Order: sequence, then C-alpha cells, then structure tokens
Amino acid sequence: MNAILKNPLALSGLIIILLIFFLALFAPILAPYDPNYIDIQSILVEPSPAHLMGTDGLGRDVFSRMLYGARISLLVGFVAVGIATLIGIILGSVAGFYRGWVDSLIMRLVDIMLSIPTFFLILAVIAFLTPSIWNIMIVIGLTSWMGVTRLVRAEFFSLRQREFVLAAETMGASDFKIIFHHLLPNSLTPVIVSSVLGIASAVLVESGLSFLGLGVQAPTASWGNILTDGKEYIQFAWWLSLFPGLAILFTVLGYNLLGEGLRDILDPKNKNK
Amino acid sequence: MSYALTEFVLAILSIFQNKMFLRNFAAFLTLFFLISCSNNSSQDIDYKKSYEKELGGEIINAMIGEPSNLIAMIAGDSASSAIAGNIFNTLIKYDENLELEPELAQSWSISDDQKTIIFSLKPDLKWADGQPLTSHDIYFTWKLVTDPNTRTPYSSDYLLVKEARVIDDQTFSVRYEENYAPALDTWASLQILPKHLLENEDINNTFFSRKPTGSSFYQLDQWVSGQQVSLKKNPLSTQGEANINRLTSRIIPDTSSQFLELIADNIDLMNINPIQYQRVFPAREDLKKKIALYKELGNGYTYLGFNLNKEPFNDIRVRQAINYAIDKDEIIQGVLLGLGEPVASPYKPGTRWNNQSLKPYPYDTEKALRLLNEAGFTKNKDGFLERHGKKFEFEILTNQNKQREMTAVLVQRRLKEIGIDVNIRVIEWASFINRFIKTGEFGVVVLGWSLSLDPDQYNIWHSSQQGPGQFNFIGYKNNEVDKLLENGRRELDLDKREKIYHEFSKILLEDSPVVYLFAGYGLSAINKRVQGIKSPAPPAGIYENTQEWFIPKSLRRNEIAY
Repeated sequence: MNAILKNPLALSGLIIILLIFFLALFAPILAPYDPNYIDIQSILVEPSPAHLMGTDGLGRDVFSRMLYGARISLLVGFVAVGIATLIGIILGSVAGFYRGWVDSLIMRLVDIMLSIPTFFLILAVIAFLTPSIWNIMIVIGLTSWMGVTRLVRAEFFSLRQREFVLAAETMGASDFKIIFHHLLPNSLTPVIVSSVLGIASAVLVESGLSFLGLGVQAPTASWGNILTDGKEYIQFAWWLSLFPGLAILFTVLGYNLLGEGLRDILDPKNKNK
Repeated sequence: MSYALTEFVLAILSIFQNKMFLRNFAAFLTLFFLISCSNNSSQDIDYKKSYEKELGGEIINAMIGEPSNLIAMIAGDSASSAIAGNIFNTLIKYDENLELEPELAQSWSISDDQKTIIFSLKPDLKWADGQPLTSHDIYFTWKLVTDPNTRTPYSSDYLLVKEARVIDDQTFSVRYEENYAPALDTWASLQILPKHLLENEDINNTFFSRKPTGSSFYQLDQWVSGQQVSLKKNPLSTQGEANINRLTSRIIPDTSSQFLELIADNIDLMNINPIQYQRVFPAREDLKKKIALYKELGNGYTYLGFNLNKEPFNDIRVRQAINYAIDKDEIIQGVLLGLGEPVASPYKPGTRWNNQSLKPYPYDTEKALRLLNEAGFTKNKDGFLERHGKKFEFEILTNQNKQREMTAVLVQRRLKEIGIDVNIRVIEWASFINRFIKTGEFGVVVLGWSLSLDPDQYNIWHSSQQGPGQFNFIGYKNNEVDKLLENGRRELDLDKREKIYHEFSKILLEDSPVVYLFAGYGLSAINKRVQGIKSPAPPAGIYENTQEWFIPKSLRRNEIAY
C-alpha cells in the first residue's frame, strides 16, 4: 500500500477508480432524478443547475443516467475480468504443471482464440444471444482469458524447477496442494497487473457493444448507450457525447495507470529502489 | 488555402475568448468541417431572388446504404428503387394529384367485363442504346416478374394475370381471371426492362444489374462502390428532357455525417429528423438562409403489433386495454416533437380511404385496468398484474431505429404504470426479420408499414397470408375482415370501395390487433440552389416533379466543364 502511495502513476489511477466507485456506489443518493424518469417537456435541455449534464432525447437527466451507467461499466469490468482470470488461472496452471500433451492442447486452444479478432467474435455471439448485461459479461469473460493463461503457464514453468517445489514434491504433497499452496501464490503478481489492465479493455468493449445497440438494453443507462443517443445530435447537443466520452476515457485511463503503476511496484527488479 | 487558415485561426481564437468554451465545442467541430470541405464558402448567394429555368448542373443527394442492384424487381431496397426509378419507366404513373396518367403507354382501355386492360404504347419509344422499345419488352418484363426462378417479392400481383398478349408492336393486353381492383395500380410500379439485353441472361445474376440500360430521363454514368452512383441525362429519354444534367447519390452511412455534409454544402438534399427540423434549424440563421425545409405526411404508420397466436394477446380485452394504456399524443410530442399525426385506421389521414369518423383509443388507464380485470388479471403484492399466478410481462422487439426505440421506451413506462412489466429488445434488421418475424417467435413488436396508394391491404390482414415470409405475421384472423378484403379488391366502383374499406377500418380498430401509434411527417432539407420545387407539396409529395427541378447557373457549385 505504501508503495502505491509513493508511485504517482498508481496513485492517480487509484484515485480516479476510487472516485468512480464512490459515485457508482452512492448513485441512488447522489442522483438528483430517477435515471429513467421521462419528461417530454424538457427534451435535450442544456446543462444547467437543474440538470448538471443536461437531458437526453426523452428528457431524462443525463447526470443521473451517468451515475447509474457507472455501475454497469464497473460491474461489467469486474465480473468479465473475474471470469477471464478464473479460466486463465485454471487452464494456465494445468498447462504449466502437467506440460506434455495437456499443455500442447491448451496452448493450441489459446492460439486459436488469439487468432480470432475478439471484438467481432463477441459481436457475432451477442447477436445470437439475448443482449443483456449478464450475457455480455460472460461473453467478454469467455473471450479474454488467453493472456492470463499464458502468464500463469510461464510462471509455473519457471517455478516448477525451484527447490521449494521439488521439496514439496519429494515430501509427497498432492498435485492440488503444490499448485494451490506453492505455485499459484507465487505467480499471481503478473496476473493482478494484467487483470487490472483487462478491466480497462472490458469497460471499452461494453461501451462499444452498447454503442452498437448490442449491449445493455434500453431503458437501462450505460455510458455506451448514452453515447449512441448523443451521436444523433452531436452538432446540437454536445453534452450527450462529451460526458459519457469523458467518463469512459477516465475510467480506462484510471485502470491503465493503476495497472502500469502496479507493474512497476510489483516488478522484482525494482525492489531495491 | 490561406483564407481557410485565417478563418480557422480566428475560429479558434473566438472560441477561447468565449467563456462558455464547451458550448462552442460542437460548433467548433462543425466549423472545422465546413472549412476543410467547402469549396465555395466565400460565395454570396441571393436565395430570395426568383430564378429563370436553366438547363444543366448537378444535384447531389445522400443515401444510407449502397444499392444492391439496379433491377428494382430483384433489389427490393429503397436505395435501389430510388435510383432505378430515374433510369426505368413504367407503363403508367401517378401524377401530382395521385391520378393515374400515361408514361410509356399513351392510353389504356378496360373491357366491359372489367377483366381485360389494353395498353397502347406511345410511338417511337427507344431504349438508351437506340433499340426500339415495344410491347415485346412489356410482355418480357411480365414473364420475368412471374417466373418462379426470378427471386422477387413482387410477383403476386402479376400472377393474377391469366393471359398477357402482344397484339402488335404497340399494343399489349392483360386479362384477369376475376375483377381485380388494384390491377391498374400494379402497372404503375412495374419497371419495364429491355428484352434484347436480358433475353439470354439469368436475371438474378446479370451484368445488367450494375450496368442497366433504361428508357427514362437518366442513364448510369458511374458507379464507384462504397462511394457514389452518378447518373447522366439519357438523350433518348422517352419522357422528354430533364433540366438537371447529373444526379449523384453519395453513400454516407451515418445520418449525422450526412447532416454535416449538408451544412458544408457538399450535398444538396437529405431526409432530416425531428430534432434537426424543430431545434437545429430554427436556431441557426445561416442554415435557414441557404437550406429550405419541407414536410409532408408520409404514407405509412408506426404501430405496436401483437402476436395473436400467443396468450394473452389472443384476448381482445387485453389488446384493447393496452391500447387504452398507451398515450399516443405523448409519443408524438416526445419522439416526433409534434411532427406526426395520430391514426385510427391503416390509411393516410386526408385520403378518401381514411374513415374520418374513427378516433384513436384515448389514454385512459382506468378503462385499461377494468378490461384487464375482466380478462382475469389482478394486482399482486409487487404491484404487477398477474393471472393464474403468472406475472403479466412481455418483450417488445424492434429494429435499430431510434424513433421506434424511443417509442418503445415511452410505451414501456406507461404499461409499467398499470402493472405490466415490459422489456425492450433492439435487433438488427436482417436477424429481426429472419429469426423473429418469419418464425413467429415474438410477443409484441414496434414496427411500421409503408403503404401503396391502392387501399387493398389483403396481404397484410387476410387470414390466408400468414405463411412464413408473408405479411400477416401477427396472425390476424377475422372472417368479416376477410370477406371485406376479398370484396374490396374486386369492387371497381370507387364509392362502393370506399365504403368497404371504411367498414374494414372500423372493425380493425375495434379488434385492435395492432395499436396505431402515429403517422410521421417526412422531413426533407434541400439546398435553396435547387429551384422549381412545388410548395406547398402536392398530394404526391415534393419528389413528384424532380425532372422539372433546376439549378440556376449562378448558384451551381464550381464544376469541371464537360
């Protein structure tokens, strides 16, 4: 924790993320209006004290929708990356521990998945499922585990030769125990970094899907949805494009800064500094 | 260049001077676009002056998608038919008052038993390649559209022709098995194709679809895939000479980019949305000066349709209740900013087929709840309606159309207020049609119908039209309506026909198989350099006389001399 405080990159990222978390968590208290409250008397009103970020094409308050949208973005980021990391850890451990044909099989699977452009794969899959926030999280998760798998496998490869692992093995510890007690805890560092960075790209993918109308369905607010609405009126109602755009920008930036910072902090080569 | 640069710098300066920087951010972007694209921004044009007709010039419009094919009977998309309509002719056409008048035909006669129509063609008609256009071409086109190997959705009307005959080079006759009232109307939409070029071709897959030879005002000049389709004048036009030399349609897949291009003077006309019409234009003097706006009621309507084969929508009380629970005025105000009309029959308001005594269901939640109670629904502890322990919930499907999506959101809110839980799902058009409409796997849809001028709506409402891919996909079946529709298409007396369709509309409203939501105005923005547009719009709309539009020399874009 101290290390984070000393690292300006990580610290600024952390502050941004915490701020967005705070806003999302207290959305019901902070939001001045119900995010789905329609008021056709005030369609596309400019930002003003009554509507901090203006209103959209149905007279809904954009600020309130942004706050609730933050919940969607954060939730999608965490759950999707959680799924990806879980799959990545399991497959990476199995491949790295057992090697041989198991490893070859899993690595070829990784190669196949990596050769498919992920966003288009997600688009194709979502087009066939009911678009809902849960489906999106699952699909993003199921298509972004490859990086973690490779990282875990590579860590296992190097750790496998270390004395403490050999010692455990000679003492008759089960595979399960070796993997979970000795190997995994020592290979989590790069996983954490890549997961934090992964959240950033998950947030982007969700916004992209919602922007294309395949994401979170109306009337639920998400940043991508608000941005699509804004596209129609971009010459006229700038606030509909600007605020969700900035929100996505800062969230992604925050996760990236935090991830990069963590990488520096956790890098053993930097420990002496 | 230096001029543009100065203006650019000035623009940046003025924006920084302004305290409300953000407010100007969008304006700045627009301005940037203007400077970077415009080629005659310095021109000072007097648009108020009235101009004399002059030949020549080019008009540029925008379309969302690329035409698939320039043979209209195969293509079926609006981009294609818009362009093909400038290249090909029909036998007869509608004039500005929506009365039929000759086009390729110089006259037609109907036999006493009302079953035979004889068309006689104008003399000396020529295709653009100089070959004569005769009744053999008409017969060939009819053969083609009714050929089962031709992949066309338009065959059904022409299949009713029992016998088509070439009497001589200028005379062509068709005979129907029974009286068919819309018969004449169908010949106003069949574009005639050249026999001598297509005789030995596979119509579904021919060079001709990208290199057509027609007989109307224009012929294809250049088609650059993904960019534009340009037409030039056809010197052998069968309909005389058009005023404007070139029609260019640029493919701009996004309406906001189209709008920027319109502002930047790079396109001359486009369809705009209510926000642009009601909010953007009134606030911008510079735009009002150079761009004219037109509005005309479209021949179509948007509706909420029930799948009548599914519970609980097979119950008339449920359908009526939902009709009462939807506030249509709110939708017209909120989604169309007032640029729409309420509808109570499937016909365009203001035409003779529209039964004026019918009124839309008023917004009345009490009545809605009473009807739902009668149908067995009661409120549960969460405030939702339920029947036999099952909550009343359904999904509204619609395609990716902003207006329909917003409409669905407004409907969802009103229905939630009376205790119906509604979800919305927006789907891309092709999969919407193939996976949901054709299979009948839907509960409720928000969709629209564009209508033809003839009042016959047999294929939408007749119970025999429920097969996959047919238009009665909601599964409507009412014996009385069936009979009226059958009689309507056989009745040739207009007053009697009118009575039939008024009665039909009345039953339809009562039955409420769909909730009529609105008929929207078509909104066009056209650069004022284009002159000769009829205002106010005639019944057939402003696009009826495009061949008479012209662009005075002084208002033209700088162009390369040919």
